[in-house]
Amino acid sequence: MSTLAESSVDSLPISGKSAKELRAFGAQRHLSLSDTEWAAIQAHFKSLKREPSLAELETIAQTWSEHCKHKTFTSPIKYTEGRKTRSIKNLFAETIVAATESVKKPWCLSLFKDNAGVVAFGKKWALAMKVETHNHPSALEPYGGAATGVGGVVRDILGVGLGAKPVLNTDTFCFGRPDYKGALPEGAHHPTRTLRGVVAGVRDYGNRMGIPTAGGGIWFDDDYRLNPLVFCGTVGIMPQWAVKKEVRPGDLIVAVGGRTGRDGLHGATFSSANLGADAPSSAVQIGHAIQEKRVLDALLAARDKKLYGSVTDCGAGGFSSAIGELGADCGARVRLEQAPLKVSDLDSWEIWLSESQERMVLAVAPKALKALEAVFLAEGCELAVLGEFTKTGRLQVVHHERTVVDLDMKFLHKGLPRVEREASWTPVAAAKPAGGVTKKMGDAIREMVGHLNVCSREWVIRQYDHEVQGGTIVKPLQGVRHDGPGDACVIWPHAATGDMTDFSAFAVGHGLNPDYGRIDPYWMALAAVDEALRNLTCVGADPARAALLDNFCWASPEDPKQLGALIRAAEGCRDAAKGFSAPFISGKDSMFNQSKDEKGKDLAIPGTLLISAVAPVPDGRKAVTMDFKGVGNALYLIGRTNDELGGSLYFKTLGRTGGEVPKVSPAAAIDGFKALHAAMTRGHVLSAHDLSEGGLALCAVEMGFTGEFGCLLDLDEVPRDPRIYSNETLLFSESPSRILVEVDPKNESAFLRHFGKSAKSAMVRRVGQTTANPILKVTGLEGSTILEESLKELKEKWQTALPKVLG
Amino acid sequence: MKKPKVLILRAAGTNCELETANAFNAVGGDAEMVHISELRTGKKKLMDYAILSIPGGFSYGDDVGAGKVLANQVRHTLTDLRQFVRLGRPVIGICNGFQVLVKAGILPSSNSCDQSASFTVNDSGKFEARWTHLRINTQSSCLFFKGLPEMIELPVAHGEGKLVLKSPRHLEDLKKTKSIALQYVTEDGKLMGYPHNPNGSIFNIAGLTNPEGNVLGLMPHPERFVSLHHHPNWTRQTYRKAPVGLEMFKNAVDYAR
Amino acid sequence: MSVKVAAQNTHLLEVKLKSEFTDAEGVAALALLREQGLSSLKEVRTGRLYEIAGALTANQAQQAGKDLLCDAVTQEFRMVPAGAAPMNGMNFWRVEVWLKPTVSDPVGETVMTALAEAGLPRPSSAREGHLYLLNGRALRAQIEKAFSKSLANPLIHRVVVTEAHP
Repeated sequence: MSTLAESSVDSLPISGKSAKELRAFGAQRHLSLSDTEWAAIQAHFKSLKREPSLAELETIAQTWSEHCKHKTFTSPIKYTEGRKTRSIKNLFAETIVAATESVKKPWCLSLFKDNAGVVAFGKKWALAMKVETHNHPSALEPYGGAATGVGGVVRDILGVGLGAKPVLNTDTFCFGRPDYKGALPEGAHHPTRTLRGVVAGVRDYGNRMGIPTAGGGIWFDDDYRLNPLVFCGTVGIMPQWAVKKEVRPGDLIVAVGGRTGRDGLHGATFSSANLGADAPSSAVQIGHAIQEKRVLDALLAARDKKLYGSVTDCGAGGFSSAIGELGADCGARVRLEQAPLKVSDLDSWEIWLSESQERMVLAVAPKALKALEAVFLAEGCELAVLGEFTKTGRLQVVHHERTVVDLDMKFLHKGLPRVEREASWTPVAAAKPAGGVTKKMGDAIREMVGHLNVCSREWVIRQYDHEVQGGTIVKPLQGVRHDGPGDACVIWPHAATGDMTDFSAFAVGHGLNPDYGRIDPYWMALAAVDEALRNLTCVGADPARAALLDNFCWASPEDPKQLGALIRAAEGCRDAAKGFSAPFISGKDSMFNQSKDEKGKDLAIPGTLLISAVAPVPDGRKAVTMDFKGVGNALYLIGRTNDELGGSLYFKTLGRTGGEVPKVSPAAAIDGFKALHAAMTRGHVLSAHDLSEGGLALCAVEMGFTGEFGCLLDLDEVPRDPRIYSNETLLFSESPSRILVEVDPKNESAFLRHFGKSAKSAMVRRVGQTTANPILKVTGLEGSTILEESLKELKEKWQTALPKVLG
Repeated sequence: MKKPKVLILRAAGTNCELETANAFNAVGGDAEMVHISELRTGKKKLMDYAILSIPGGFSYGDDVGAGKVLANQVRHTLTDLRQFVRLGRPVIGICNGFQVLVKAGILPSSNSCDQSASFTVNDSGKFEARWTHLRINTQSSCLFFKGLPEMIELPVAHGEGKLVLKSPRHLEDLKKTKSIALQYVTEDGKLMGYPHNPNGSIFNIAGLTNPEGNVLGLMPHPERFVSLHHHPNWTRQTYRKAPVGLEMFKNAVDYAR
Repeated sequence: MSVKVAAQNTHLLEVKLKSEFTDAEGVAALALLREQGLSSLKEVRTGRLYEIAGALTANQAQQAGKDLLCDAVTQEFRMVPAGAAPMNGMNFWRVEVWLKPTVSDPVGETVMTALAEAGLPRPSSAREGHLYLLNGRALRAQIEKAFSKSLANPLIHRVVVTEAHP
């Protein structure tokens, strides 16, 4: 203690400094601390009668960063909705957590507190899942940013409980359109370059680590051109005994994996800053996938020998946050000179805060150290003892006999002052559809299949090794020629379990549609949950066992309107979780996704919510794909069609605005999903595909060209709001919760029995049948043929759209 | 019945070892994953095993060239590999393992240890994962293909899989010695270009064997087709073929018994 | 003293695909550079550069190039002499793309480990660079700009453009 206060070299005088001076100092050091936070730090060190060291200030700034503490979601908010104002104490607790607690699922094994959420997978195993974002680094250096994003989320899975084996990477991106022709500010990459770099980064890291990458998505919108979004998700599998972790005082702090260098300093604080031209080059890194593979192999071998009590990954904040978190309840003493370094000239605070990749920290009982060393040595993976966990309740860091950090854990983890923010939301009545041009239905369909948000992702998918580990039994590309758009992948993790006789599998689905959020983020959230669940259901996963993950990417929460929209979305998540009886198990948020455009004006991304869902497929051999399987089979439509074209692809194609945003009725929706699942487990379903962008028309088109059969649809049979008199609305409305299903005529009555009463209440209706000719033929409400489109031609449009703009 | 011991070679970056082990075990083998460092220290010995399998992956990240670093280690560490081959014990190198066998001078087989073939980046310039139609060379006596139909399907997943030869005359040698084990073809068995030949390999070569037929190197992944449910079309009623990958592993295990 | 000097040798090795093999990476690079306005470019050939510092003698570096860094069938390599004079030749350019020293280099790390395992002295550092040999009319400034928008990111890469003979 005394050495710290006396060392004039290390300590930084902050007492007596004005808020302005501190702000300037913080800006110079990329600390991203607010005035209130500076005041709390000042008061704390005043009570200690000393000045902080640089390493201490950096530690506090990292720990209190938006990235680590999720201040937006956990701080009080004064929220005005219309004319009513109420206060929210903790948005996260009141929405996501409250809903999860209310649905009470005994199969949830670990929620919110660890590096990933964990659910039971059979009696012996557990699935861990996490989805992270790596937006800012990917904007600066698409390849390195995306690769280290994958590396980071994989380490989250290695660092959950005592470590899980990654069995699936699933990545979703939002980019500006690759054909964007407008101006860009200095230093910004063109969306095409960003896309190519991000895909290559995800490909190279995932392929090298031997984790299949599948089942993500891409959304194009020019408002992402300066702030691309890169969501990296990983699913891991672990024995249930490995879910619990514990740090005991006296345990050694052991760092494993890569060496520590100057790379990646200030990642956490940087992630909350506005993107600008002055980005530090140290904020981006190149990943080293093979280093992480060594860690993976060694760690899981050590786990099975029970050689450590706890583990976490070094993410944002490096050692400071990894050790700070592991020792939060007891205390830790660290000797920095023990850390293996890449370069020898690192300052104490740099070693402590460095975000060099591929590192993890273990808590190891001293008697297990020797055995642990042997395991890591055999894999060629470096290991170093950095100190020990203590009972002092303090975080103490020494570098060559000099104390560089001596902080009270309580102050560090609980001392963050909460500032109340203001938020507002003005409900608007749905605008009447207006503007745009009228197009023939056939022309509209041709345009829509080639739309960037619909067209084939084969250019991307084939670059990912989506079958490594030999468990991808429903693949991302489906059908006769292995090129149709599957709803989700089914993974049979036999490589991880070692049991090829057990066909238990799982699926992962996603939902995302920022266009709905532009109208109302509340309904965007419900639609996203609904989409993720219907994707899962379509491939045979059990919708009653689905676990959800949220990822909010937003602009500045300091703007009351943005924050108000975020609250709407969070409340949508709450109501969706309750309505679908599906718990959230993990989540993440990324704020300040806005940048100055070439004219110096702020360009904010549209508020974006990615919902990911994971659910078991009880028997992988009963999984279903979306391609038509034969001629003369019955087509059933599950779910009701309403006049909901607000934010739809059809309106976008016409250039039309307004309209009702799709609204979900979770209770009815989940009944339909469960009935379909029951029918699938009995083998009564030949194919199933969800209705999303482009509605019934595009759904039938995709099923047809993937299976190389045609179909005949009768719009008068579509279960619908009786006030609909328009063929276009029935074909293109994006009402949620709908799935088109192909059933063998001999199974029709058995299939319908699964729907019980709702079969009669017109929730499920036979709307047509499959035909030999690959043609989409539609009978309109008036009883005559209104559409006859060649699926071959549509498929070509669908397949060539992306390669055309990417080369 | 005696279970033949299978050595599945591991190194930093190999990543198909678990599913390959599962496949061998499913057909009566006794697979053991052995890190190359254990062979280097002498803790494990190659000659104690009946079968050697070098699995797919990205050994050492494929830095400086696919399989190159591991191939060098195999040259230096597995000095008894040539004897293992001479004794007729089955050796299979899959994908990265095939690249290792070629760069270590094991395939194409020759009396010298010289490397006479290699791999370059796929003609498409990209890593690609897709299922391919393949034709087994019925003239070759490769033990892994015993009893299999001439036309099979297996998936490939690689970025550096274009087989090239030191000189054109080597192709004639390969034909003469019946070393070409497997070729990329169309569904009806024709030699065609991309995407049927996914990487641009010379003469559509997908796999090589030695004249004795106990060594097989191939870019496609047989361990990814060991269950009916691995095939992309298993959900279609028209599809009912046996998983050929499993048959290949079974042939090796039966042979070693 | 002389030992110490020898201990800090730096070798630059250049590995290229032999001309008889299709350079798919070069074809891809050509397309990207053309997209960025280098429309007169006719061909791009690619290679790898390895800058190895430490105790290796010139002979050992030669051996590393032959046994480890260069493929016996498809590639050729040479040691690039220090301060090689740029050649004349209007329509040929040599572009090197290196990671900046602050960015870690995973390939370099692999090379260090592999050299040590092959029985050579462990280098004190090894860095990998990408080499592009351009054939076609272009101006230096155009090349620099095109690279900064396609094959190199100024944030993490250092790009060296020199005129070169084929």
